[in-house]
Amino acid sequence: MASKIAPSLLTSRTYWARPISAAPTALTASAAKVPKATVPLVHRSVNAHINGAQLSSRTNFTANNTAFSQKRFYAAPVYKASPDTDVTQPPREQDAYKLQHHDDISSRNFAYFMIGTYSFIGAAAAKNIVTDYLVHFAASADVLALAKVEVDMASIPEGKNVILKWRGKPVFIRHRTAEEIAEANSVSLSELRDPETDADRTKKPEWLVMLGVCTHLGCVPIGEAGEYGGWFCPCHGSHYDISGRIRKGPAPLNLEVPAYDFNEADGKIVIG
Amino acid sequence: MASAIARTTYNLFFRRSSSYMVGIFASAFAFEIAFDGAADRLWDSVNKGRQWKDIRSKYIEEQ
Repeated sequence: MASKIAPSLLTSRTYWARPISAAPTALTASAAKVPKATVPLVHRSVNAHINGAQLSSRTNFTANNTAFSQKRFYAAPVYKASPDTDVTQPPREQDAYKLQHHDDISSRNFAYFMIGTYSFIGAAAAKNIVTDYLVHFAASADVLALAKVEVDMASIPEGKNVILKWRGKPVFIRHRTAEEIAEANSVSLSELRDPETDADRTKKPEWLVMLGVCTHLGCVPIGEAGEYGGWFCPCHGSHYDISGRIRKGPAPLNLEVPAYDFNEADGKIVIG
Repeated sequence: MASAIARTTYNLFFRRSSSYMVGIFASAFAFEIAFDGAADRLWDSVNKGRQWKDIRSKYIEEQ
């Protein structure tokens, strides 16, 4: 080994390098333990060597150098059967043990098991993140509790108005009489500013449900008032008829009808 | 025999990707139930006597 490191007579370039004292064939457990600091730096040439009588141009610095070599970490032993082939590293004792006791199936099972375990924990975590985000965007319980309002239909006599608060806005409910329904139906669409039939605005003609917000500037109209017997907005004088349609004044649209439903079993109107 | 068990396990769960994925999702489902249940039980034991379900009987009489 040391002879290879002799300074060359034909040196054109010189490098400082560690000796290749532990070439591949000489790699042993003891050689691997040599601390870096004890390996001396020697003056050595590359590109040219006097090797006996012949001139060779091997470049030794590319050879495996144990001072920087990486320990083997992979588990499966891959040695060749015969040591006189180009085996680069003789088996260590623990590798020989592995060679004898190596069980292909169970080590493969172990790898798959570990990957599968990480996978299902990761899948559960990913599902949790997604559901947490979706729940975060959903309405909270206090909002949902205020989102619907129920009113008992039996508590509203015929020909009377009720005003409820729903989502911060007033809601008018009128239990209309037969004459009022007939009056609402008698109006021809051509004389309306915002043409809507009475049937479009009610689910049951006896019950008129609408938002009590004037479509002009948002005042709350007064019930049973105005020239058309419906609602009258005191702010700027909009007149609504008995179906809540705009008939006179500055408001551009009919009173808005919210989403509502009838709960026949309990006799209730559910708004929202 | 250990090797026979290992071989059966391999053939049942790992050999085909489809069965491997089914196993992973089934395990994720079971793991989530077990994990959530354990976390809830831990929470309830730490907060024993402080939650509505613990003090409900003091305020509401069952009819």
